[in-house]
Amino acid sequence: MRVYPVPTLLHESDTSWFQSALKVITMHGRVKLKSTAQQEEEKRKEREKKLKIYVAARDACFSKRKEGIMDIEALQLTQQLLSSNPDFATLWNYRREILLHQETVLSEEEVQKLYEDELVFLEGCLKVNPKSYGSWHHRGWVLSRIPRPDWNRELGLCDRCLGLDDRNFHCWDYRRMVVKLSGVPVEQELQFTDRLIGSNFSNYSSWHYRSTLLPLLHPHSPEPPFPLRNARSSSPSSPQMHSHRVCEEQLLKEYELVQNAFFTDPNDQSAWFYYRWLLGRAEREEMISCVYVSREGERVIVAFSRPVNAQAVGLLLVVDGQPLQVDWRSVHPRFRHCPVWICELPPGTISDASNEHNLTVHWTERHTHRDCALYTGRSESWCRDSATDQELFRSELSVEKSSVLQSELQSCTQLLELEPQNKWCVLTIVLLMRALDPLGYEKETLAHFETLKEVDSMRSSYYSDLCSKFMIENTILKMEYAEVRVFSLSGKKLTTLCHLDQLLLVTHINLSSNKLQTLPPQFAMLQCLEVLEADDNAIETLPGLYHLPRLEEVSLRNNQISRLSDLKPLSSCPKLTRLDLRGNPVTQTANLQSELAELLPSVTDLLL
Amino acid sequence: MTNSKKKSRKDLGYHPKMGTQVKDVVLKPDAPSTLLLEKHADYIAAYGSKKDDYEYTLSEYLRMSGIYWGLTVMDLMGQLPRMNREEITAFITACQHDCGGISASIGHDPHLLYTLSAVQILSLYDDLSVIDVHKVVEYVKGLQQEDGSFAGDKWGEIDTRFSFCAVATLALLGKLDAINLDKAVEFVLSCMNFDGGFGCRPGSESHAGQIYCCTGFLSITGQLHQVSADLLGWWLCERQLPSGGLNGRPEKLPDVCYSWWVLASLKIIGRIHWIDKNKLRSFILACQDEETGGFADRPGDMVDPFHTLFGIAGLSLLGDEEIKAVNPVFCMPEDVLQRLGLHPELLS
Ligand SMILES: [Zn+2]
Repeated sequence: MRVYPVPTLLHESDTSWFQSALKVITMHGRVKLKSTAQQEEEKRKEREKKLKIYVAARDACFSKRKEGIMDIEALQLTQQLLSSNPDFATLWNYRREILLHQETVLSEEEVQKLYEDELVFLEGCLKVNPKSYGSWHHRGWVLSRIPRPDWNRELGLCDRCLGLDDRNFHCWDYRRMVVKLSGVPVEQELQFTDRLIGSNFSNYSSWHYRSTLLPLLHPHSPEPPFPLRNARSSSPSSPQMHSHRVCEEQLLKEYELVQNAFFTDPNDQSAWFYYRWLLGRAEREEMISCVYVSREGERVIVAFSRPVNAQAVGLLLVVDGQPLQVDWRSVHPRFRHCPVWICELPPGTISDASNEHNLTVHWTERHTHRDCALYTGRSESWCRDSATDQELFRSELSVEKSSVLQSELQSCTQLLELEPQNKWCVLTIVLLMRALDPLGYEKETLAHFETLKEVDSMRSSYYSDLCSKFMIENTILKMEYAEVRVFSLSGKKLTTLCHLDQLLLVTHINLSSNKLQTLPPQFAMLQCLEVLEADDNAIETLPGLYHLPRLEEVSLRNNQISRLSDLKPLSSCPKLTRLDLRGNPVTQTANLQSELAELLPSVTDLLL
Repeated sequence: MTNSKKKSRKDLGYHPKMGTQVKDVVLKPDAPSTLLLEKHADYIAAYGSKKDDYEYTLSEYLRMSGIYWGLTVMDLMGQLPRMNREEITAFITACQHDCGGISASIGHDPHLLYTLSAVQILSLYDDLSVIDVHKVVEYVKGLQQEDGSFAGDKWGEIDTRFSFCAVATLALLGKLDAINLDKAVEFVLSCMNFDGGFGCRPGSESHAGQIYCCTGFLSITGQLHQVSADLLGWWLCERQLPSGGLNGRPEKLPDVCYSWWVLASLKIIGRIHWIDKNKLRSFILACQDEETGGFADRPGDMVDPFHTLFGIAGLSLLGDEEIKAVNPVFCMPEDVLQRLGLHPELLS
């Protein structure tokens, strides 16, 4: 019985999110209607009446609770209020207090009956308001108390509810809880998603559910990932470790299913999101990827395969068999977690060029280490993992047989002929090409990015950044093959810089003729950099030109540097002698020359 | 699998549904296109004065958050002095319970949602002394579970929203070290999905609101490097629809409050430029009510304080100079966080 009706404000979108269903105070999806003065007056009176009834019922509930009354009448009172306002959380709490009390005075049969009635009441609430946090949580609570739960009935409820709205995430979560508590086999749930996807491909919730079930059912490897077993409380394990990997056989089946989906509805994003996940499952091993030592600088630099807090992961430096007490700092004070860390050695440790030194860096938390030998007469040395160089970026995409990917690419290319404007298809083709042969397909990739920016102009910055990332990856791959420390990225339309941790050893970099607006703090990972060319960009700020010990020449012609203060980071680079600022707004500043002489005393060759 | 077999399936397989409908709205040409700041301030100032209104009364179960929305949007518009400070702080004092938790209204039960709202309000007013801060910390601490998650209250509902509420509350109080942070982080990360997003609990589907909570949580706890920023950023920027508005999940309608949840998340992970700012701005402006002031979820719908805050806060993130700068993590004016010395991490 709905004594105190509230306007039912059902709507399509995911509303009422943060503060439970905010259906009253926040008018989600309520169309504003014009009304006459008379109608207004009638409405006002109606509201006044409802308000009185509501306040009376609420006060009755509150005073009963205050007196500690836990009777059936109180259950009825809260029921009346909650059936129209299920977000009144305190009333659910009162109800639970009453039910807990009743458990102590009733027989088991009576308790069973009481909770069954509660479930019937809740079903009514959920029918009216299927997105109420309060109702769903209370239902879960009832199931945890009822002597003999009927799990099939709960699964049936979920089926009906998802039949009405197959995206209701409350119901999906409730279903997952029921499945877990009642021991429904994972296979059966996977078949459930088969069924839903079969009837409607466009169901993101079902694809999502699949992504959580598959790794359980068809794990890539039976052994738990190594770092999980060693996870220490001091370092939360990274998300990549909650492994999402799936065995190859199942993966092929998934490709087939998802292809059926996007051939049926090429504009439905659900299947494409899922497909990108299938393509990108491979994970990068956690390790020390490089150890670099500079004799002159008396410093050691360590690069990791992911950002870490070196001060907290148990990093141990051993030089010639002796553990050294050193302070690790990240390349920029902004980073608490960073892939590149630096430490200064105690003066004299390695400075004598006639000595040979053997260094080892232990990452004790991961039980891994890397050695590096500094030979007699050498001013620097490094040891890096060359085995991963080739697969550095492709590994992010796939470990699958290339023949499978090749045929996937063929399929997508066929689809593109039918749907030439389909951005999802174009993007997927780009990803497949990268998984197959990033350098070989570079030209096609660039052309596809132009298409993407055209057909989906709202997200052109996303595509520009992604394209920049791929171009940087390709250049790194080429550099790896050539084994040089000169890195040229000029004229690549770069809008962003990434993978800078891979450039730790680079001495010369050319970034000219791109669309960069900043040299970000990450740029400080180029610890060996001597010469920087970055002419003809749109650079406004240089936070990344920070404590680069070997930086000598910086060319920033034709950029957008407008304030003297933006040049301040350069004052931390002790060897800087040449600076070209021609064509920047800052050159119009009064007294610039003398200001710069004070700010950057080491610069002898200044071009304004 | 042979190629020929694949081909035949393909030929059978291509049955495109004709004209797949994108769920979206169309902005009318006469929709508001300028910011009606004064009207919004008047709307919020008048809102709290209708205390015996039916709908106002019905919303008392979330009153504390309602006040936070109203005060924050007024502060962002430089109109905070128009609100009744004494009345509000007295109300908050009266809503703190013996356990330390704070309720939405007098007579209601305490909850993390309203504890955070109350602490946010008192931070705006720089007046935390009106509550027992030590007890608040104890309350939050007591709600952390074995697995690192947080219950919203003693009845045990678990949700990443509550993880956010817990760390946001403690950060504002300068007591982040009161809880087991590593465990808390571990739980939130266990809610990360295949698309880089986050849901309510492990296994739950990604949702822009939860993503805001989880990226905000990871920002406060200094763990943003654990986010797959490129993957998540892609999912988030795909929330923008042709109307310029943002939805909260794939295949849903746009809504002004998502201009906050999505935009703030993008800002936190350093990818706000991946959406079309001008189109979003037009959408948000079109959701204003020219007569009454305030913002609605979509053009032509009824306005409310909730969407008014998130409309204004969204415009602030988009760089509107008539509005104070908003902090994407706490959804409070930047100057307040500066005063508190809080600088939550943002990716670049
Ligand atoms: Zn909304």
